[in-house]
Amino acid sequence: MSADAATPSSLDRAAVLAMVRRDLAEILEKTPDEISEDAVFADLGADSLALIELVEALEETLATYVAGFHIDDEDLEGLTSVRVAVDYVVAKLQAA
Amino acid sequence: MTLPIALDAMGGDFAPGEIVAGARRAVDELGLSVILVGVPELIGDSLGLEVFACTQVIAMDDDPAASVRKLKDSSLVRCAELVRDGRASAMVSAGNTGATMASALLRMGRLPGVVRPCIATPIPNPGHTPTVLVDAGANAECTPEMLVQFAQMASTFVRAHYGVAEPKVGLLSIGEESSKGTPLVKETHQLLANDASLNFVGNVEGRDFIPSPVDVVVTDGFTGNVALKTLEGALTFIFSTVLGVINTNDETRAAGRVLMEHLVPVANELTPENQGGAMLLGLDGICVISHGSSNATAILNALRVASEMDRADVVSKLRTTIRPDQA
Repeated sequence: MSADAATPSSLDRAAVLAMVRRDLAEILEKTPDEISEDAVFADLGADSLALIELVEALEETLATYVAGFHIDDEDLEGLTSVRVAVDYVVAKLQAA
Repeated sequence: MTLPIALDAMGGDFAPGEIVAGARRAVDELGLSVILVGVPELIGDSLGLEVFACTQVIAMDDDPAASVRKLKDSSLVRCAELVRDGRASAMVSAGNTGATMASALLRMGRLPGVVRPCIATPIPNPGHTPTVLVDAGANAECTPEMLVQFAQMASTFVRAHYGVAEPKVGLLSIGEESSKGTPLVKETHQLLANDASLNFVGNVEGRDFIPSPVDVVVTDGFTGNVALKTLEGALTFIFSTVLGVINTNDETRAAGRVLMEHLVPVANELTPENQGGAMLLGLDGICVISHGSSNATAILNALRVASEMDRADVVSKLRTTIRPDQA
């Protein structure tokens, strides 16, 4: 999928889930298969710095779909699992 | 052309005065190239050194991760970006340790294969090269695999920086027997013992820091930081107690004058400001963290260490340590 041709709606939930699993796997030196949708960040060994790495990676990727895509710092505390993070990103994309 | 070292002019209890003074000395006495990174109006007289201007400062008590995201034009973040962009050979800061690590991690990135970077702190070992403590505070919670990687990186650092061919690695525990310690320590002991790339000599205890039988002491960041601060506090207390006793009366002061020429070199060897700060290992760039209370001498030494790490090509050596296939 070309980023230039994409629209927010073309990034469905499955695509966002794959993106989160891929980025998190890279940060934690795991494989995406080791990161389930139900995984809790703390159980994966993702500390606050790892979550910031994830957020910055997602922002960089998603900015190519939605200009200026940004995850609010105030919302970071609530992002405790893969599922919650994916739901959050999907909702932000739909609102864009 | 040698790239300059990016020095956070705003970080530390005595910034910017002592920081700038240390930079000036590093240029004059060591011939290093240094660029100050900070808010020009706050720096004031840069003593003739080049200033990379920014508009924000991360305070010592700011939340590390949040401040790095919010204060993108801060001196710390700009220092890390100068290294990332190939405009500086290394960064040095005496500022907020957590924010320094976050800035370096988020801007420089980790070396491929590194799970988490760690803080390596040299501890003086009279008569020998310093003993390197990892992790001295970056990762409060660790897995056995992380500790093994810390030991590998610290061994590479000791080889490259101090020229020790086969650094001895000890695992901090509460007894020499492999059965002693927490589940983390016991599992790590087994992994270290089975790692042929390491010269693992077994467990060491808290009393084995000074003097130390090993070149590397590995532990989790929580324990490492407690051990380091305990050591610093004990040394400070001993120094002040000895000075207090010497200053008791005319007789002890006379004795002190005789002893001082022998005591001062020992004190200098054990003083943190002469060690040159702690190194972040595992990043795709050089980052040296100087003590928060750094004076000009401490900054001079931190800049010296950063320069030596650059010359020894420590980052490339760490890269091939973690991923030998990239050699």
